[in-house]
Amino acid sequence: MAYKPQYGPGTSIVAENRRKQMNPGQKLEKVRSVTDEDIVLILGHRAPGSAYPTAHPPLTEQQEPDCPMRKIVKPTEGARAGDRVRYIQFADSMFNAPSQPYQRTYTEMYRFRGIDPGTLSGRQIVECRERDLEKYAKELIETEMFDPALVGIRGATVHGHSLRLAEDGMMFDMLQRNILGEDGIVKYVKNQIGEPLDRAVAVGKPMDEKWLKAHTTIFHSLVGTPYRDDTEYIEYVQRIHSLRTKYGFMPKEE
Amino acid sequence: MAKIERSQKLFLKALKEKFQGQDVESETAEFYKFNGVRQSPRKMEFMKASRAVEMDRGISMYDPERCHLGGIPMGQRQLMTYEVSGTGVFVEGDDLHFVNNSAMQQMWDDIRRTVIVGMDLAHQTLQKRLGKEVTPETINEYLHILNHAMPGAAVVQEHMVETHPGLVDDCYVKVFTGDQELADDIEPQFVLDIEKLFPAKQAEELKAEVGKSMYQAIHIPSTVSRTCDGGTTSRWSAMQIGMSFIAAYRMCAGEAAVADLSYAAKHAGVVNMGSILPARRARGPNEPGGIKFGLFADIVQANRKYPSDPARASLEVVGAGTMLFDQIWLGSYMSGGVGFTQYATAAYTDNILDEFTYYGMDYAKDKYKVDWKNPSANDKVKPTQEIVNDLATEVTLNAMEQYEMFPTMMEDHFGGSQRAGVIAAASGLTTSIATGNSNAGLNAWYLSMLLHKDGWSRLGFFGYDLQDQCGSANSLSMVSDRGLMGELRGPNYPNYAMNVGHQGEYAAIVGSAHFGRGDAFCYSPLVKVCFADPSLRFDFAEPRREFAKGAIREFMPAGERSLIIPAR
Repeated sequence: MAYKPQYGPGTSIVAENRRKQMNPGQKLEKVRSVTDEDIVLILGHRAPGSAYPTAHPPLTEQQEPDCPMRKIVKPTEGARAGDRVRYIQFADSMFNAPSQPYQRTYTEMYRFRGIDPGTLSGRQIVECRERDLEKYAKELIETEMFDPALVGIRGATVHGHSLRLAEDGMMFDMLQRNILGEDGIVKYVKNQIGEPLDRAVAVGKPMDEKWLKAHTTIFHSLVGTPYRDDTEYIEYVQRIHSLRTKYGFMPKEE
Repeated sequence: MAKIERSQKLFLKALKEKFQGQDVESETAEFYKFNGVRQSPRKMEFMKASRAVEMDRGISMYDPERCHLGGIPMGQRQLMTYEVSGTGVFVEGDDLHFVNNSAMQQMWDDIRRTVIVGMDLAHQTLQKRLGKEVTPETINEYLHILNHAMPGAAVVQEHMVETHPGLVDDCYVKVFTGDQELADDIEPQFVLDIEKLFPAKQAEELKAEVGKSMYQAIHIPSTVSRTCDGGTTSRWSAMQIGMSFIAAYRMCAGEAAVADLSYAAKHAGVVNMGSILPARRARGPNEPGGIKFGLFADIVQANRKYPSDPARASLEVVGAGTMLFDQIWLGSYMSGGVGFTQYATAAYTDNILDEFTYYGMDYAKDKYKVDWKNPSANDKVKPTQEIVNDLATEVTLNAMEQYEMFPTMMEDHFGGSQRAGVIAAASGLTTSIATGNSNAGLNAWYLSMLLHKDGWSRLGFFGYDLQDQCGSANSLSMVSDRGLMGELRGPNYPNYAMNVGHQGEYAAIVGSAHFGRGDAFCYSPLVKVCFADPSLRFDFAEPRREFAKGAIREFMPAGERSLIIPAR
């Protein structure tokens, strides 16, 4: 019987959202449109319209060794072209931001190819070839995995995920890379590393509380779904821990 | 698991003081209006001091308004003060960096400069090999000479250089024994009297363990161990011990028996506080990476002072341990920089870990009838996987819910590593105290980490991916190279060797298993007695209070140098 991924336990909406984000068979809902040029501006790795800097010649121009793995694994577009490896990094508020660090990593591993994600408490980075990155970044920003107020695109100085929100509902960012305009639209005035942009990049209106609670992937007893209420989830984690403990003894079957 | 009611929130006072005039349960706050670093009196002091240094030396220095993020200084949010847990003292975060805190420095100095040396081998050499008489009177004479020599004075040769007593006034030697009759015959100035220092039950246990042997608790000068290293301690002490024996017992300085005394003092009879580390860690004995968790829990004396409060005793080990292992060992010896202090202080400030731990105590009493205020081995819960899971789960869920219900507390512990360490520590301490089993406590730690990670989809920094996600499998195993009882683990235990926010808590989890049983010691009765010494500069019964004193600049350390430098 072929392995069928289950994408995690749980009976709560949080668990359901986690499975949906991870499952590449489910299409992520597109919530906003951001142009390719605007994605490039936020990333800040190259000027829009400029050629992709390369780390090596295109694979077709290289003498590829006779390697069975290379015959099995098809290179991504960026790898084929010899692009640099660059990154996008997110900070997700614990007040019901739609995605969260480990969730992002799991989701990206299921949905994207040729990536190197890194997971911390206040930020999650994913690195890959530059043109692949721009494609992935667009999906991560335009879909239900993003909220303009509660998700920050931050290369450095990510402090904010666990802080109270500002009075206007925005997550704290000491560099104030993205600001909420009087028109209710969030605009990036600095790229992810904090360099001022020549023009502001709009990323849409913040989602409302109801939408956030229905789409978030974090448990939260004050503003969302209490972890304690998803007993299946907790029992599953306990089971994993118990089995790992038991097999630390290297038991042998009689 | 089933949530229990606990109306007392130990962290509330701190939150209200830190966030004055604000609703500590509010989800929103004001930012970007605090005038950057200038909101902090301490940062202002630093800036002023830096200007003076720059004028003096002609080289630029502390300039946070220019150098931080290209002109955006810290302080775009409120820069918080911290209450040192259990003390009621509020301090600036900067004051808890060990460079700014003389009490923290002294705590480590007092450990690094200490060795315990048994006297039995030397006495046997004197009596059996040389036929000399050893009596309480000769021991008193020897100790008088040793307390002259140990700080750096000559006892045998002519025309020797010596150290200024005012510079080495923290150096001395006392002795202890389980033989009360012998102890009573030694001059009180030289004795660590177990009966007087410990509660009766603990004293009885310790005296039985120490037996009729006599040990020297030796503290060489702070200045010496600072200038050299921990490996110096046994060498410095052995040289002075050897010379003092020669003087006290009128031996020939070159006779072969002296080698026996030296060997006993340097090797056979010496107890170092830390074992030597492998080449890749490149540290000698008596350095932090070699201190076993059980031994460290014995250095801290809170269970002696608070025998009926194993939670309090454990929390003091957490404070001392995170300071030494996170701030000094990992944060400075192994890494460098200033970042580790922010991780470590979370475990001993604002009474947050305290609240989570006492919740665990209430839960253990409510569900498992553990009378934790009367520590005893008799009412410990059998550490089955089911019970460990239950204790760890409930304590973890409660802690997560507290962070959620009090957004200012989440903001206080703004880093995931801080929260992960604190939540897992409360889980481990609760389980250890309830079961009396340190490995069960460690196992609870790892379930807490897994629950935390899945609940919030985040944990700590990258390092947590390794240590805390494979810890379940090594926490109970005793297979060589795969596991070890908690008491014998230490900062250089394979999976523990690189991760901030763990080692101090592990030491406390080990200690708490014994505090919960009412044991007098965890690993070494000798170490427990040695650090009960009221003459030590640092009071190991109250590490957090001492850190607070250091932070408000009321702690007087050793290592004086003003006697030999120009007056300011």
